[in-house]
Amino acid sequence: MAKSLIEINNLVKVYGQEVKNKVLHSISLEIEKGEFVAIVGPSGSGKSTFLNLLGALDQATEGEIWINNQLISDLDDLELAKFRNQNLGFVFQFHHLLPEFTAKENVMIPDWIEYGAPTVDKKERAQKLLELVGLSDVTDKLITKLSGGQKQRVALARALMNKSPILLADEPTGNLDTATTEKIYNLLRDINQQLGTTFIIVTHNQDIAAKTDRIIRLVDGQIESDKVIEK
Amino acid sequence: MWFEFKMAWRFLMSGKTQTLLILLGIIVGVTVQVFLGFLIQGLQQDLINQTVGTAPHVFILPEANAPRMLTEEESSYSRTITFSGKQTGLSRWRKLSSDVEEIDDVTAVSPTIVGSGFAFRGQKSLSTVMRGINFEQADNIYNIKENLLNTQTADLGGNNILIGSSLAQELELSPGDSLKLRTADGVTDSFFIAGIFDLGNKELNSSWVLMGLNRAATFLDMPNKISNIELQISDVFKSNQIASQIRRNNPRVKVESWQENNQQLLTALESQSSSSLVIQVFVMIAVTLGISSVLAVSVVQKSRQIGILKAMGTNRRRVGIIFLIQGAILGLTGALIGSMGGIGLSKLFVNVVRDETGSPLFPITINLNFILISIAVATLAGMIAALIPARNSAKLNPVEVIRNG
Repeated sequence: MAKSLIEINNLVKVYGQEVKNKVLHSISLEIEKGEFVAIVGPSGSGKSTFLNLLGALDQATEGEIWINNQLISDLDDLELAKFRNQNLGFVFQFHHLLPEFTAKENVMIPDWIEYGAPTVDKKERAQKLLELVGLSDVTDKLITKLSGGQKQRVALARALMNKSPILLADEPTGNLDTATTEKIYNLLRDINQQLGTTFIIVTHNQDIAAKTDRIIRLVDGQIESDKVIEK
Repeated sequence: MWFEFKMAWRFLMSGKTQTLLILLGIIVGVTVQVFLGFLIQGLQQDLINQTVGTAPHVFILPEANAPRMLTEEESSYSRTITFSGKQTGLSRWRKLSSDVEEIDDVTAVSPTIVGSGFAFRGQKSLSTVMRGINFEQADNIYNIKENLLNTQTADLGGNNILIGSSLAQELELSPGDSLKLRTADGVTDSFFIAGIFDLGNKELNSSWVLMGLNRAATFLDMPNKISNIELQISDVFKSNQIASQIRRNNPRVKVESWQENNQQLLTALESQSSSSLVIQVFVMIAVTLGISSVLAVSVVQKSRQIGILKAMGTNRRRVGIIFLIQGAILGLTGALIGSMGGIGLSKLFVNVVRDETGSPLFPITINLNFILISIAVATLAGMIAALIPARNSAKLNPVEVIRNG
């Protein structure tokens, strides 16, 4: 039984059957509830692979991941899907919203998956989340009509819809200009402080990383350093 | 299922041109399938109607007897034996008639006395079939009243007779004229023509002479007996079954059904049905392949969306269901519109394609069951078509999709 919100023990990921490519080498760490963590490292260091394993999108070759006292490898496809829906929010570099839906509908999708047709309360929650990320005026616009920054903020609102305790973000500001990046970061920080959501952000942006609580640096699939930032 | 339906609907609506094109394909396919089905059904129904619509479906006859020896004369040089080939007739026919009337599917029962003979007028004589009938009962089978040419009443009392239109024409007879008839046994009498009928069959119109059952009994020497009992039933394809049932309960009579007597026609109808079915099946296969190929393309087009949905907690089964619903929506919508197209095309055919007299070649009946079956088959075909794309979509790895943006 894990004591921390996230506990990772000896995590190994190997790609390939004949030619094996070991991307992660026996990683172990713990992340507490409400932490704001940055994962940094050069390209190919295994950051995204690590995040995918943590997000239960991929399976580890060896090792254990405990989230909310649940061993991820114990879950089958149905349980894993439900677990992701209830415990994990995702924000990706390429926003990954559904272009067939409006901003508000995209925010509600995680709720639709779990509960089906939305209630008035859920619609109000989606509206409030869009207001929280500063998009109250574009709620009924199709995603294709929004700017890159707006899309990323919709993705953030979507990640928060199901009140997931953990939010995983892979280069959430990678495609945005400096001003929008700053806005998005501040938003993430506000949410972290207001809702107590645990953030794990993969980023190349040193400025963003420096503003987090903790920086874990991965190099060649191993943790090179794990520093808590003194404020 | 609300979520899966919502996704399926939006995915279909997001590619309107693609959806419309495949829908058009399904509509054309189902239209052809429904029209072809109606056409063949109409054609067959017409053939059956012409063959047995106004004819008996089951006949109850006396058991055929071997010729019976009547007399034997012997001399020192020769020996002469006289046989009678005359049928004995049905003797207990009243009870038999009321018994068969009790059978559920029997709609008409007509006891009949049949005999051959000649009709004379002046120098002309024509061979005739004289039929003694109870008019009301026979009318239920032959629709005689509806087909009377010069009168609406048909009184077969006394020496009144009805004759066929060709016979009347040949002998230049009109209602009110008298006609001399002679039986095969040489009995001759004069009859009064009460009406002339046209049953739409040349053979019957040129040979039939209808008279009252009692008059036929005396004229054709069949006291207390009749030649046969003719039956009509509600479902013409049950004639074998009804015949067997009557045979079982009345082993001393001979029972024949129209199906037994028209094997060649039935074989032809079956061949026609089979070939129609083969064409319909191939049309549905083409429709299924069309839906399948469009959905296969859709899975590739929507792979990013599928990956995102999976990352957010949609399991494989539900992703597959989204594509099955798309197949069902395409199949059902196409089938509904296609069925209407098929009905429209059938109506158009009936109204446009006509014979020399301006009547439709044959009537087409809109069979609701056939429509419902066609809709169900097309919807099912849509879902079957979606099976492979659905399986492929379920296999998509969200990590790959997310990584590739």
